[in-house]
Amino acid sequence: MSEEEKVAIVACAGMDKPLGSVARACAFKVVEDLKPEDSVLVCIPPLVAGVKPHSEWIKKYPIITIDGCPERCATKIVAKNGGKIRGRVFIPQSVQKYGLKPKASEEIGPEGEELAEKIAEDTALLVDKILRK
Amino acid sequence: MAIVTDKVGIVSCSGEDLPEGTISRIATRIVMEKLRPDDTVTICLPLFLAGSEDERAFAKVFPTIAVDGCDKKCAEVGTNKYSGKPVATVVVSEIMKKYPHLKVKSRDKLSAEEKELALKVAEEIATKVDEVLGRKK
Repeated sequence: MSEEEKVAIVACAGMDKPLGSVARACAFKVVEDLKPEDSVLVCIPPLVAGVKPHSEWIKKYPIITIDGCPERCATKIVAKNGGKIRGRVFIPQSVQKYGLKPKASEEIGPEGEELAEKIAEDTALLVDKILRK
Repeated sequence: MAIVTDKVGIVSCSGEDLPEGTISRIATRIVMEKLRPDDTVTICLPLFLAGSEDERAFAKVFPTIAVDGCDKKCAEVGTNKYSGKPVATVVVSEIMKKYPHLKVKSRDKLSAEEKELALKVAEEIATKVDEVLGRKK
């Protein structure tokens, strides 16, 4: 896999709501477990602060955003910073799809972990689709 | 604009890049939920950075403490850029120097050692909250 062929994952990671924590857990599962060679994790605070490599990755790679609530901060921030969004994951929709509910922001619990796992698998499929695998 | 001082906004690095970011996040939740629940509110950093007027207005009126995982200080930089200078900044990587026996490795699930460090950081944040509010606890 060449350096040029990766997907950048940008997750909201919001602290306000448990679904932000699910977005975060999901992003880790994709970049660390499911697609470590094919993806990079863009951290929002350094992206906005202009810190490399995060600010470069969103210009270099196609992007999947993972949003935890209808504010859709990850999507808004990527759009504002000139990234090309090729896939979007909206956690509240996945909650309905899978019928799993995380416990709390600081500890998402077993259901939250299962939910993050399932959404991570969906996200990994999106990575493959973008990279035409 | 007048600064109101009966609550303190905590702006935490939601960091996914380093384990210290995870410590920031958990320490902030400990402060909000256990140590100073009546004195603090969290400002969601992604929401704040995405342009939420409510979050930014809050940070203009109330004093804020930035909790950063590392010396990039993204929470401090972001708060400064969009609302005003935080009254204090707590940097996890600096606090870690005081506890060299506590190692951090995970960006996801915290070990017992990492939880202990998160509590130490939370206690430092709580002390800053007391200073900002002019209280002795």
